[in-house]
Amino acid sequence: MRVSATVPVGGEPTLTDSQPPPSKRALSIAFWIFPGFFGLFGVVFVVLLRVIPPPRPDVDNKYITDYFETHHSSILIGLGLLCLVFGGSAVANGFITYHMKRMSSGPVFAYVYMGGLAVGSIPGMLLVAVCWGAAALRPDREPRIIAMLYDLGMLSFNGQLGCFATAYLAFAIAILVDKNNIFPKWLAYLTIWQIVTEVIATQMWQQTSGPFAWNGSIAFWLAVVVFGVWLNCQGLMLKKATDDHPAGTRPPD
Amino acid sequence: MQLLSGIDDLPRTANVRTQLMALWVTAISLALMLVAYAVFPGFWPPMSPEMSAEAVADFYRNNAGWIRFSMVTFNLCGLMLLPLFCVVTVQIKRMAAQSQAFAYCYLMATISGGTIFALAATIFATAAYRPNRDADLILVLNDLGWIVFVAPVGMALIQNLMLALAIYFDNGARPVYPRWVGHFALVVALAMAPAAFSMTVTSGPFAWNGAISFWLRNIAFGTFLVVLLVVSWKAVHRQAIDEGLTE
Repeated sequence: MRVSATVPVGGEPTLTDSQPPPSKRALSIAFWIFPGFFGLFGVVFVVLLRVIPPPRPDVDNKYITDYFETHHSSILIGLGLLCLVFGGSAVANGFITYHMKRMSSGPVFAYVYMGGLAVGSIPGMLLVAVCWGAAALRPDREPRIIAMLYDLGMLSFNGQLGCFATAYLAFAIAILVDKNNIFPKWLAYLTIWQIVTEVIATQMWQQTSGPFAWNGSIAFWLAVVVFGVWLNCQGLMLKKATDDHPAGTRPPD
Repeated sequence: MQLLSGIDDLPRTANVRTQLMALWVTAISLALMLVAYAVFPGFWPPMSPEMSAEAVADFYRNNAGWIRFSMVTFNLCGLMLLPLFCVVTVQIKRMAAQSQAFAYCYLMATISGGTIFALAATIFATAAYRPNRDADLILVLNDLGWIVFVAPVGMALIQNLMLALAIYFDNGARPVYPRWVGHFALVVALAMAPAAFSMTVTSGPFAWNGAISFWLRNIAFGTFLVVLLVVSWKAVHRQAIDEGLTE
């Protein structure tokens, strides 16, 4: 890829022409990975892995083994596609971190956001595909082992609380303290609802049916609606922050 | 690299010196990991996904010692790749303004990828911990270990993509890494990509023990680590020259 012609062709570049002309193409590439990744995320979890909408927690081993038999191929393909693209979360959230570093709120919460989601992507995203992949891999495995993999996958995906709550808290506080207006203040208040859904999700660890179970109207469906609204707002505001970013500048170290 | 005398107390001296230490840590741990890799019985040849539960359990029983040694070494030394990746992060942060966005994405992918590596070694070693465990339980641990070890290449792909993009957009007069490193990172990412789908088949080159998903992926990544180590050493050396710390 040839990006700029400022480096003289066919000769050793000198120290005198050090600054390339300001451009924002790199930022635009980093931004577009955000919607691209979350689109694929939807395909993997809704269409292939069949984790969303969630299958029931209050079922016997027969239902679970049938579930993996019915969706055998699509779950294994879903595992594959997720393994291929799940690094996109590092770009989507790394680019948010980049913008958080441009805030006047100091680097602490930018690093907290980065750490929380870098950790969270493993138990909160990858592990369900790994467990379900292991369950789908051998349909002749003992049903009680398949049922354990089913629970381990669903609970790690839907019941992952602290990594995300920590990152959301960091995001909200950083926005509220920031005076550079990188993200609007209302996005911070919306983010607080994300923390609330994580707190409500604590209940799915002790309920196997009803509104607070992992497929319940409150612990799951309300949380999914809030997540959907929040993610779209975050994406749109990330676009705006990227558009408003002056070319040729960088956040402080 | 010989740093000039009389510059010991400068912060920028420490920055260069610690980066060189970090590269040494990774170089030594890479050598140790090569040993662990060479003696892991499960890799010579890589265990087939078609093995029965009894065969897998027997394998862990008969090779428990070497499996423990190699997985403990993997666990101890695997994350010592982190110093190298953090030197790369520091070097990306030295690049032109446009490349900065990729530094945080690179660091995030590094953290997540390292976690996956630690998880794989943990699962394999747990399977070897009680060789008398029921065969079907050893089989499920073995499956989980292989899935986690082979398939989740996505973080390494993003690391290489971010590094390549950062290098391409580092269009100042003094690029931190030469451009071919970006091309090479992308080629390695392409070689590793097919392993993601290794669980959809149980035999042939794309299976978890196959020529593409296992050998091509591992050799490509191993070679890349050595190359990255060398070019990062050169990048730190150039930083030392630019900052007047060496000649």
